[in-house]
Amino acid sequence: MMRKLNTDLLFFFFLLLTGAYALYSFHSYMDYYEMVILVGSILGFSWLGKFWQVFKKYFLSVFSISLLGVYLYQGNLANAETNFILKYFLSSQSSIMWMSAFFPLALFTYWFYLFNQQTFYGKLASNFTWIATIMGMVGLMVRWFESYLIGVDVGHIPVSNLYEVFVLFCLITALMYLYYEQKLNTMKMGGFVLIVINAAVAFLLWYTFSKGADEIQPLVPALQSYWMKIHVPANFIGYGAFAMAAMISIAYLIKDKGYMVDLLPAKHILDNMTYQAIAIGFIFFTIATILGAIWAAEAWGGYWSWDPKETWALIVWLNYAAWLHLRLIKGLRGSLLAWWSVIGLVITTFCFLGVNLFLSGLHSYGEL
Amino acid sequence: MRFAISMLSFVALASIIGTVLKQNESYESYIIKFGQFWFDFFEVLGLYNVYQASWFIIILIFLIASTSLCIYRNAPQVMRDIQEFNVKIKEESLRNMKYSSQINMPKNALDNCQQVLIDNGFKVKLTNKDSAVLLSAKKGQFQKMGYFFTHISIIIISIGGLMDGNLVFKAQEHFGVKSIETEDLPLSKIPKTSWLESTNFSYRANMLLKEGEIQSVAFLPRKDGYLVQDLPFTVALKDFEIKHYSSGQPKSFESDLLIKDKETGETVRKIISVNKPLTYKGITLYQSDFQDGGSKLKINLWDLQMKSSSEEMKSEVFKINPITHSGKKLLFEFEDFRLFNILDIEMNGEKVSKNVGPNFTYKVRNESGQAVEYQNFQFPMRVNGAQYFMSGMRVSQQEDFRYLKIPADANNSLQGFMIFKNLLFSSVKTNEAIDRIIKDTSENSTNDPQAFKLSLEKVIQMFISGGYSAVAQSIEQNIPAEKQTEIANTYIKIIFLIANNLVELYKQDNPDDDLYEIDDLQKFIQDALNTLSDRFFYGHDFYLELVDFEHIQASGLQLTKAPGQFWVYLGSLFLVLGIFCMIYIQEIRLWIFKKNNSNKATLAMSTNREHLDFKTIFEDLLEKLNNKV
Repeated sequence: MMRKLNTDLLFFFFLLLTGAYALYSFHSYMDYYEMVILVGSILGFSWLGKFWQVFKKYFLSVFSISLLGVYLYQGNLANAETNFILKYFLSSQSSIMWMSAFFPLALFTYWFYLFNQQTFYGKLASNFTWIATIMGMVGLMVRWFESYLIGVDVGHIPVSNLYEVFVLFCLITALMYLYYEQKLNTMKMGGFVLIVINAAVAFLLWYTFSKGADEIQPLVPALQSYWMKIHVPANFIGYGAFAMAAMISIAYLIKDKGYMVDLLPAKHILDNMTYQAIAIGFIFFTIATILGAIWAAEAWGGYWSWDPKETWALIVWLNYAAWLHLRLIKGLRGSLLAWWSVIGLVITTFCFLGVNLFLSGLHSYGEL
Repeated sequence: MRFAISMLSFVALASIIGTVLKQNESYESYIIKFGQFWFDFFEVLGLYNVYQASWFIIILIFLIASTSLCIYRNAPQVMRDIQEFNVKIKEESLRNMKYSSQINMPKNALDNCQQVLIDNGFKVKLTNKDSAVLLSAKKGQFQKMGYFFTHISIIIISIGGLMDGNLVFKAQEHFGVKSIETEDLPLSKIPKTSWLESTNFSYRANMLLKEGEIQSVAFLPRKDGYLVQDLPFTVALKDFEIKHYSSGQPKSFESDLLIKDKETGETVRKIISVNKPLTYKGITLYQSDFQDGGSKLKINLWDLQMKSSSEEMKSEVFKINPITHSGKKLLFEFEDFRLFNILDIEMNGEKVSKNVGPNFTYKVRNESGQAVEYQNFQFPMRVNGAQYFMSGMRVSQQEDFRYLKIPADANNSLQGFMIFKNLLFSSVKTNEAIDRIIKDTSENSTNDPQAFKLSLEKVIQMFISGGYSAVAQSIEQNIPAEKQTEIANTYIKIIFLIANNLVELYKQDNPDDDLYEIDDLQKFIQDALNTLSDRFFYGHDFYLELVDFEHIQASGLQLTKAPGQFWVYLGSLFLVLGIFCMIYIQEIRLWIFKKNNSNKATLAMSTNREHLDFKTIFEDLLEKLNNKV
């Protein structure tokens, strides 16, 4: 008990010092809100480190590898081509490519484990997922730094376009899955959750190679706001959770139909996991939508403009609100809710991607 | 509740229509898209503005009503549940509960238990029964408060939203007090029924301000017309500025505004930009748009069809300049001017976004009303290794621009091309050139010089009167098929030869002139000939060269008065609180039933929502209690 408390405190002080250093060195570039966000992040990550012990290791890995990347740049963007480590591992492009390599590897290994049931392979798959998640996050962190190397006025947090949020989606979904993997002590769901992550990876690769989407672009005026730092990640925690819930529901339905009965966790565990994922997703999606409305009131002149993205966010919200209603108030369980959560993912995907593909509106930052 | 859910589903469906069908477009574009029949049909349904259609608002009102009813009906029961300890429970039913256990309970140990429970956040109540004591405890009643918070929040948010909708105007329109103006009238002519007073409760209006201009009203686009919104202050635009990144993309749009209160005369000056609005007297001003504000243009008018020098023309964006050309009237309608134009340009084999400088857009309209649209750039652009003045033309908005490329001379100016054009259109000069060619070739040729001269003259005349296509047409009509290619090549060579000699002669006559000191002069001449040949597809005779300009911009502002905003935010706060309560607070009830004459007691615990970890919670608590007993 004492030891655990100590590492939590240590982690908190570490974050406090790092944050203080950042505030001291860069406060002239930050506005009041960004300072609040920084302090909030210190508290938030400290809490997360306490709530989920492994998160501390994850944070420190990403932190140190990203710093190495930043250091290797020596303030010169051209080093991405000349420095060996940057070129093959740590430039944002390369580390996101490593992420894109490890996620499929993890998927195959998880399925291998599912049929072969040897813990070793499960652990291996889990480690692959961790590596992918670390590399992806390093990629985003280094990309953040790279954007400042292009120009101090160009620099921005990498959640501003479809490419960047797809990476974010993969990371958040994977991290949430890893949390439940540990909490419920089962690695059997990996093969399912990793499917949706790999679908995102496939899109990401197509988007990179056919459209050159990985290029860092300066922010359009509408996106230049501290709100972006809060609104977008909150939204993607929601999307990630809904995606995970749908994949677990698929596992539930497979088991419900009498397939893979011995291979998958008990039905009530799957059912509960779906509920927890949707619950956490719903909270974050609600907060993200409200924050989006507040931002819209500041940027577009109205908290609600019935912009297609807004409207579809409302539809997604209503959908999961109804889902939770049925489960919490009516006490409904079982395959109907599982089907519903799968359909929920279709609606969510349309909101996330379809709106950008087929409809136009104010949210046109991520057009293909 | 079923009613509320079906209303919500209906809202969701209606909302989808609104995202698929583009909202608030102009009525003309809807007619073009759907045709008259469907246009009328959709109009009746209010599909062009779904979210403000009467039926949509009625659904919302029903939703508020049914949610209120739901609260009214269920609230008393929920409140009782929250307050109640459930002391009537029998030992029998405690034993039958899923989480139930027999524990040792010596005398007075119940007090210790009570303390343990209080330490663990329970509220406790002791009830004496016949020869027994019941300890009832509960925790997490706020979960039920979640029900209130979420449902009340829906009502508050909907009411806030309705406050900011246009209900008041809809009523006024219905009773004929107000009406939408559909004609484009000067402000003083707009009837009072289309004016909304400055006391208007809520609105989202637009204002377009030129630099230096002052305005005291804003406009609300409605259906196929508009309304005038009177403001409690005047707004003056001191300056409008677009800042750019080094790559050329826009970085910020900033309006320097001066606001003056109509009553008190108080003034406020502030620079607003996207994401940084200004609120004055409950009205928030946003940077939403920008366009040209009537930039002044100085233009050279070049006639491409004949030997001539340029004529000067002065105009402004949004102004029309009439001229008379060969007895017919032409209207030059200037429509836009843009200082920055970021285009993807190929440089060293790579595509680079680059600012190519100012351009302006205009239409040339003939007497029968037909217009050709043009877009000309002030400075030449590098295309395939050479510099060209680009002029886009199209006959309808649906088309892409097709470009006339005019080669720039050694000074990057138009002069070289225009002099060349005049040389070609001058029969004296072409004759000189032809004579020079004949002189050069007659020494080693057996051809009849007179016949040769005639054929040269014929070819160049053909080219002048109709370009390469006239030459090609003549070959097709007069030359046998098998010889056509050969003759065509010869003719092209002849045209080029004459053109080349024209330039050579010009250089001889004007030794100080360095216009044609171009690396690849042959290519320049080739390009100039192409341009002259393409002029027959250019729509009109004139090329407009932008010589100078004074940039005047206009800033598009949005003015919002949204008193419902506070309520929407408040409702949102309740919503988040409520969801937290409902999902993350676990309601737990616990009972210890001890008969007075026994050393044992029955303990049971229950929850209305059992999560996976409930068993652990039960076991933990049991252990703590056993330790204390």
